[in-house]
Amino acid sequence: MRKIFLTSAVFGLACAGLLGYQAVKAQDQELSPEEEIRLVQEFNRMMAEGINPGEIWAEMGKEAFKKYNLDKCDFGLGPGKIEGALAQLPRYFPDAKRVMDLETRIGWCLQQYAGMTPEQVKKFVTQCWGKSQCMSEYDAIVMYVSMASNGYKINVNLKDPQVKRMYEIGKQIYYARLGPWDFNCATCHAGQKEVRIRATVLWSADRGEAGKAVGIFPKYLVRWAQPMTLHYRYAECMRQMRWPTFEPHSDLAVALSTFLYGNGNGTEIKVPGIGR
Amino acid sequence: MRKALFLGLLAIGLVGISPAQQKKQPTKKEAGVKPEEVRQVLLSGFEQDPRFLWKLEQDESQRICSQYPSREAMPAQAIQRVIELENKNIKYPQWGIAWGDWKEGKKLVDSARGGRFASYGFSDKPTDKGGNCYACHLIEKGVPGGTMGPQLTGYGKRYGITKENMNSPEGLEKLKTVYKIIYNAWHAYPCSSMPRFGYHGVLSPEDVINIATYLLHPESPVNK
Repeated sequence: MRKIFLTSAVFGLACAGLLGYQAVKAQDQELSPEEEIRLVQEFNRMMAEGINPGEIWAEMGKEAFKKYNLDKCDFGLGPGKIEGALAQLPRYFPDAKRVMDLETRIGWCLQQYAGMTPEQVKKFVTQCWGKSQCMSEYDAIVMYVSMASNGYKINVNLKDPQVKRMYEIGKQIYYARLGPWDFNCATCHAGQKEVRIRATVLWSADRGEAGKAVGIFPKYLVRWAQPMTLHYRYAECMRQMRWPTFEPHSDLAVALSTFLYGNGNGTEIKVPGIGR
Repeated sequence: MRKALFLGLLAIGLVGISPAQQKKQPTKKEAGVKPEEVRQVLLSGFEQDPRFLWKLEQDESQRICSQYPSREAMPAQAIQRVIELENKNIKYPQWGIAWGDWKEGKKLVDSARGGRFASYGFSDKPTDKGGNCYACHLIEKGVPGGTMGPQLTGYGKRYGITKENMNSPEGLEKLKTVYKIIYNAWHAYPCSSMPRFGYHGVLSPEDVINIATYLLHPESPVNK
């Protein structure tokens, strides 16, 4: 099993390298229609062949996990225990007196056990934001911990009043029309009918796809040749919505995660996902 | 200046209105979560840069729309209220309704950057302009576009605009209708997904007339 994984990882790395030179600066400009079509085809090919370059990050994450003393971190199942940990998050942590999702918990543990200040954590988290083919230890840690929950079904305890409260707040924010472009999350991610934004079909809360959407994060993005964590996804959504710059590991992120994972209860986790 | 005054008055009005609304609003399902709590969590999620925090102020229409998951779920009274509010929020170019420059309009339609900004990574500037219309609409034949909004290929032709009638009163009336929808979509389609570009100042009245010209003008590639 491990050998298969490594082989695919090496193959994936080669692919990522090939793609890399085209992905440089891709984020800086808008993609041309031809580029768009090429990337969709590339994505389809990778899907068909079962290649996911995102898996490479997990190997790196395993080392970084030890390096930053995260084996002392309790993700809700006991210190250092990560098998199935993602499936039962977000949950309330008495030690932090806060409901936390996976990434927020990692950030908290980095402060507790790796001696980082909040500013250092933020820098650590966002080092690959807005870049392409960037490999960061943070993305790798999130990938490693998330992949340990593959095959588990999302099971957020909504009976916990603290979690339920975050769920309700997340729900209200999901439907809050805000900003100079009047968007809310539901503008794009709701509706019974399948619609496209440019070339992309978006998941919809009304079609019960929340679990399918969050169950594949972190997700490898072919056009940027790097994985995208869930909090980076939130930041990107909010940038597209013309809201101010998003703050990772904030209560806002936790509220959204609680709402999305809570709606996705029962969905199997399959990390990493792959996208255009 | 008048707009600033109007917005100020609106804000004062909102402060007055909101407590009354909040008393009525909580349903059984949301019991326990106060609007102030939601607001606090929301604000915690953004960099506290005063240049951008104004983006998180809700006006009355946004607040009404936030209460319902879709327009189908909105009571007639709420729809009426948004229409009433938004009809007041339309302004016209200095020279009135007249055909603009479709080439300038095309630039704004094509640009996805307008209003987009994040302090990490990207090269977007807070001053970038554009409507990102292709995200939701199919506009020129053969250019990939979204399907969230109605298809706009051949819009002017379908709407009956020709070289002969475009400067007639009916032709200008049609231009005005389209202008109003782009300037403030909510006056016709309350709480629609389409942003109120003109009302928020994302696009100026002149920008909006150029975009309307791009969609309707017989010489524009949209109608080829």
